[in-house]
Amino acid sequence: MIKKLQQLGYPLFFVVMIMLPAMLDSRWLAVATTFVIFTIVALSQDIILGKAGMFNMGQALFFGLGAYTTAVLNSVFGWPLLATLPLAIIIPALFGIILAGPIIHLRGDYLLVVTIGFNIVFVQAVQNNLFGITGGPNGIFGLEMLEVPGLASFQEFTPYYAALGALLVTFFVLHNLETSKIGRALHYLREDNLAAGSIGINTRIYKIFAFSLGAGIAGMAGTFYANQYSAVSPEAFDFLQSVLFFSIVIVGGSSVPGILLGVFVMFVLPEIFRELATWRYFIFGFAMIFTMILRPRGIWPAKFGRIPKAFTDKGR
Amino acid sequence: MTGKDLILTKVTKRFGGLVAVDDLSFHVKEGQIYGLIGPNGAGKTTVFNCITGIHPCEEGSISWGGEEIRHLPTHKIVRMGIVRTFQTIRLFSQMSVAENVMSGRHIKSSQKLWHGVFHTPASKRDETENWQVVFDLLDFFGLREFATHPVGSLAYGIQRKVEIARAMAVNPDLLILDEPAAGLNDNETLALIETIYRIREQGITILLIEHDMDLVMEVTEYLTVINFGSKIAEGTPSEIQANPAVIEAYLGSDDDDF
Repeated sequence: MIKKLQQLGYPLFFVVMIMLPAMLDSRWLAVATTFVIFTIVALSQDIILGKAGMFNMGQALFFGLGAYTTAVLNSVFGWPLLATLPLAIIIPALFGIILAGPIIHLRGDYLLVVTIGFNIVFVQAVQNNLFGITGGPNGIFGLEMLEVPGLASFQEFTPYYAALGALLVTFFVLHNLETSKIGRALHYLREDNLAAGSIGINTRIYKIFAFSLGAGIAGMAGTFYANQYSAVSPEAFDFLQSVLFFSIVIVGGSSVPGILLGVFVMFVLPEIFRELATWRYFIFGFAMIFTMILRPRGIWPAKFGRIPKAFTDKGR
Repeated sequence: MTGKDLILTKVTKRFGGLVAVDDLSFHVKEGQIYGLIGPNGAGKTTVFNCITGIHPCEEGSISWGGEEIRHLPTHKIVRMGIVRTFQTIRLFSQMSVAENVMSGRHIKSSQKLWHGVFHTPASKRDETENWQVVFDLLDFFGLREFATHPVGSLAYGIQRKVEIARAMAVNPDLLILDEPAAGLNDNETLALIETIYRIREQGITILLIEHDMDLVMEVTEYLTVINFGSKIAEGTPSEIQANPAVIEAYLGSDDDDF
């Protein structure tokens, strides 16, 4: 029954998401677009935090790096937006390797502090107009937007559907990760680093890989974020954004439905209760506390024991 | 020297000022069931940690099949065919039994890092082949009915079996068991003895630490006894049982009242 629901879940989710813009006005369309983009970033954070168990509090750095890569290549070098996408994935992924390399052996809280540091350095660098191309505190404006040729009336919806396409790619990558030895290795080293080493897993390589993959996916989301606003600015990628992505994974749980719920609770709900002004954060804070007390592994935690069908059916 | 022998020569391991293993030498021959025994705190587990690279030793030599492995990191030593279990079971407790055993297939799998992003027909085939090996092992250890159970919720005796199955999934040449009978009842211990014999039949060398003297005397072919980190005796089980130094180490001698 649950298995069937899961098989139905993904198509159903995409059908709803494809129909959604028809029911939304422009403000809610923007919320929906950001919801999709934040889901991609939260899923990338889940690879590092949820699966590999590394307390990374700097995911907004990689998200921002992707967005800035797109913005700089587009505004300074005049590349078409879509052409910037490969570099917006590769550059954050490389930075993931470079930054994670020297700090990967740090445990929990130490790693957390270092990644906060990285995030602050990044925001400071772009705010101070690094190399004269990041636009300083105001960011970069007037980027080109993705367009569907011959569908000018469709332009309003393009950022949304482009982001949805990226989400589909992310799901595909995550599915491959979960059904490969690489994804399992991340689970193993999270649960017991020493035991993982004692059966031959080079835990260092896999931790760096998790950082790199998470950074690459976050960078891809950055391109679509830049596309949505046709602008980038430093405060969208500051440390508080990293806290948001961190809490989404912790509150939602390390699973795709968990992440979706997490982004909904942490991002969409506050938008819905916008009339309550700052009171909404009061409610939202309590929601976080109660989730952690009642469901310490998140609303929808990771489920294990998914063994290929051919094996589980035999011998029953 | 022939075959895959494990030879420790004058191994010394210090933690600060404490000498945990002192000038220890022994020779495990291929195909043997070798026992390492000694009173609590004698440094047995430290010896295992030195061999498996968890706490590399500072002095001496550890040679495996003619190669020096003293300075290698743990994951490389596993690749050379040496796998261990832990005294306090270290399984991936949230994950299922099958996934735990599958972790042992990690180094045998041909998948590369990028297969985590993108599967190819070859990586899918590799995946199926490794699950097949896992389920053959589950049958070997009688664990099939627990395949999808989270391992943390199972009885202690079953967890022990899972840990040995996980080590066996690596296809080791040398299996190092750290107190495999700890916490087991008599029936489970008997089953364990049988399992150890069945593993040896596959040509795997076994090195074990054990407190259960019945088990040690029954299964091992050769023993080294250590106390305070240094060797006090070695020999066959019957020789060891008759050795006054060993009896003294375990029971205390008459004249240590001062």
